Amino acid sequence: MIRTPEGYPSLIPPRRGGSVATVHFPKVRSFRSFRGQLVVVFVGLFAVILATCFLVVAAAVRANARSAINEELRLAGTLFVRQLEARSQQLLTATRLLSGDFALKTAAATADQATTRSVLANHRQRISADVLILLEPDGTIAADTRDPGHQGAAFPLPRLLEAAEQTGDVSQIAAMDGGLYRLAIVPLLAPDPIAWLCAGFAIDDRTAVDLRSVTNLHVSFFRRQEPGLVVQASTLDGADREELQRGLAGIRRDGVVQLAGQPHVVRVERISDDVAVVLQRPLAEALAANQGLFRTLFAVGGAGLILALLGAIVLARRTSRPVQALVGAAQHVAAGDFSATVSVRRRDELGELGTTFNAMLAGLRDRERVRAELQRAERLKRFFSPQLAELLSAGDESMLASHRREITVLFCDLRGFTAFAEKADPEDVMRLLRDYHTTVGALISRYEGTLERFTGDGLMVFFNDPVPCPDPAARAVQMAVAMRDGVQGLLDEWRRRGFALGFGTGVDMGYATVGRIGYEGRFDYAAIGTVTNLSARLCQEASDGQILVSQRVYAEVENLVEAEALGTLALRGFVRPLQAFSVLRLRAARPEAAPADARSRQPLSKDEGR
Amino acid sequence: MTRRLTVAAILALLTVVFATRTGVKAQAPSGPVEAIVADEKGKPIEDAVVFLTPLGTTPAAPPSSTALMDQHDKEFVPYVLPVYVGTRVTFPNRDNIRHHVYSFSSAKKFELPLYIGTPAAPVVFDKPGVVALGCNIHDWMLAYIYVLTTPYFVKTAADGKARLEGLAPGAYEARVWHPRLRGDADKTGKPLPLAAGEPAQVSFVVSLKSEWRIPRKFVEPYRGS
Repeated sequence: MIRTPEGYPSLIPPRRGGSVATVHFPKVRSFRSFRGQLVVVFVGLFAVILATCFLVVAAAVRANARSAINEELRLAGTLFVRQLEARSQQLLTATRLLSGDFALKTAAATADQATTRSVLANHRQRISADVLILLEPDGTIAADTRDPGHQGAAFPLPRLLEAAEQTGDVSQIAAMDGGLYRLAIVPLLAPDPIAWLCAGFAIDDRTAVDLRSVTNLHVSFFRRQEPGLVVQASTLDGADREELQRGLAGIRRDGVVQLAGQPHVVRVERISDDVAVVLQRPLAEALAANQGLFRTLFAVGGAGLILALLGAIVLARRTSRPVQALVGAAQHVAAGDFSATVSVRRRDELGELGTTFNAMLAGLRDRERVRAELQRAERLKRFFSPQLAELLSAGDESMLASHRREITVLFCDLRGFTAFAEKADPEDVMRLLRDYHTTVGALISRYEGTLERFTGDGLMVFFNDPVPCPDPAARAVQMAVAMRDGVQGLLDEWRRRGFALGFGTGVDMGYATVGRIGYEGRFDYAAIGTVTNLSARLCQEASDGQILVSQRVYAEVENLVEAEALGTLALRGFVRPLQAFSVLRLRAARPEAAPADARSRQPLSKDEGR
Repeated sequence: MTRRLTVAAILALLTVVFATRTGVKAQAPSGPVEAIVADEKGKPIEDAVVFLTPLGTTPAAPPSSTALMDQHDKEFVPYVLPVYVGTRVTFPNRDNIRHHVYSFSSAKKFELPLYIGTPAAPVVFDKPGVVALGCNIHDWMLAYIYVLTTPYFVKTAADGKARLEGLAPGAYEARVWHPRLRGDADKTGKPLPLAAGEPAQVSFVVSLKSEWRIPRKFVEPYRGS
């Protein structure tokens, strides 16, 4: 009986790892993965570029708005100053007209103080002035509509008077007695200058509001008072005035002042040595025109960012997917599974890498397969003839299927073994069997026979299956002779020890059903047919050292052997008597008679075997 | 020629009469006094009044005289009228419109309200000093009457020169005045000794103020038409 530890080995190579589907990939972390980094870098770069563009545009827009406001303020300032000058000119004309009044001249030249003051008060109303002052040529106040007590005092603005002396008359906005006035000074000509007439219009918040209608900008009048400017009149309310006054420090001409948290672009127009006008406009008003632009910019930028994000994700996926596939395949390989292949259909380096990887895997698979086959063949050879083992290891399972084949069957056993086994020590029995099996086993391998079974001292070997050979009968007979010779040497030693042991052999050839028999988990490769029975009977008939062959076998080998015909034998279980021959010896050996190394021989195809 | 001779003869006669009447011992007069007035740049000054005050003596008052201050083509003529104190000045209006002559000067405050022709009464200038004349309805009209306490005065011509003759020899102080003189005329004094028959010269370099006169052209744009 052939016993194998695993039964019949499976012809399907075992897998060490699991299937492809069950291989687990490590989960890709969002930003540490290649894909994440790619997306972050791509989108980050785009965002940086976008932000830079946005900042540049915003800065340009702001600068543009600033410059637009500045230009607007500059124009408004020019317009405003001209307006002031025109008003000054009006005042000058009015004052000059007033100074031509003969009654005023008369009063100034001849009348008493009270009359002069009265005339002044009257004339002040004529031009709706806030103040009218008559000055002596030397600059002392002759009469003042504000306060009679000013008479005899020095005119508080000597420099203005000097200017009037220089140019004949003057009109200017100046600070006087804590207030701001637009002042006009003209000489009182009679016809020589006999006095100066000074008319003044107070500049107050009303004036500022009035002037605002000209430019539509906030207007504030400031008086120079070291170290800075002090607001005198303004269209702004109290808190904004204070902030503007504070904010003006350090602004020479154009600048930005925070009022109530809002930036205002301001322009300072110095209209005289100690008076300045400040025009202003909220920056937000000018920027409001650009809100649409900013909204568009935000929309386009946001859309661009989203597109960039999507594009980056797509690109990253396209790039990382083959990489991940390669990683997954490499993990399979690391786990010992070479069956995986990567599918990277790209024309770039990654595609090349995938192709190379697949080629490497194919190489690994081949190697693994060859290695596995070799291993299996080694294992099989312990139980089968080398030929069968090779066939099996090559995966040709068709041989195992039940089939009919003409085979040559050889039976042999030891005579007297049962008595020996009873008498001898078990150790001796085992030693004998081991030596015996060693001797015959080597010969079976050499002659490429298929060992069907061995039962203690007997064994059955057949030829021409599963590997066909051209001369099964010749081989069987040659092997039988070789066995007899080999076993006789062995038995001689045991006979000398007193054990009467002999060796008989029977050989027949004919058709038999060959194939796998047994049940799931326990199979044998067996030959069943008359030929096996007949060869077994011939073996039983054979005496020690005798090789009995059937007529058919003898017909095949008569050229090779010397034999003697035994005549007709009546064998138990067989109806017809049988012609049997006893092979005495081989004829003079021919070189090709004995097969050389079994391995050098190519197994023949089934057809050739017939 | 004959006219000039006649004038000279009359002057000579007058002098004799004057000398005889004042009881001053007849004496040969000094030579002509030539006065030149110019500004710092050497430009001759017209209408400057050069007047000589005899030192040590009080000049005899000349007989009361009259003078004219015409108004012609809406201008005063002359621009400067030096007069001896007490002179009566008439203001004949030769235009066909009225004028309103006035003065607020302390030397003489007067007013001739709108009038045509020659006012009946002349204005007596009995206080020395400058009298600025104006017209109330024509701002540009401007003239000066310079009231002097000495009878020896002369007005410079356009070349800045003036000539004074027939003064008694002696020590004089020469001074100059002009409507736009910067400073006081009293401080322009220069000693001027005059010798009989000998000509003398006096020159002044003065500084003038700017004029305050209202330009006529702005007031009467259609004057030419």
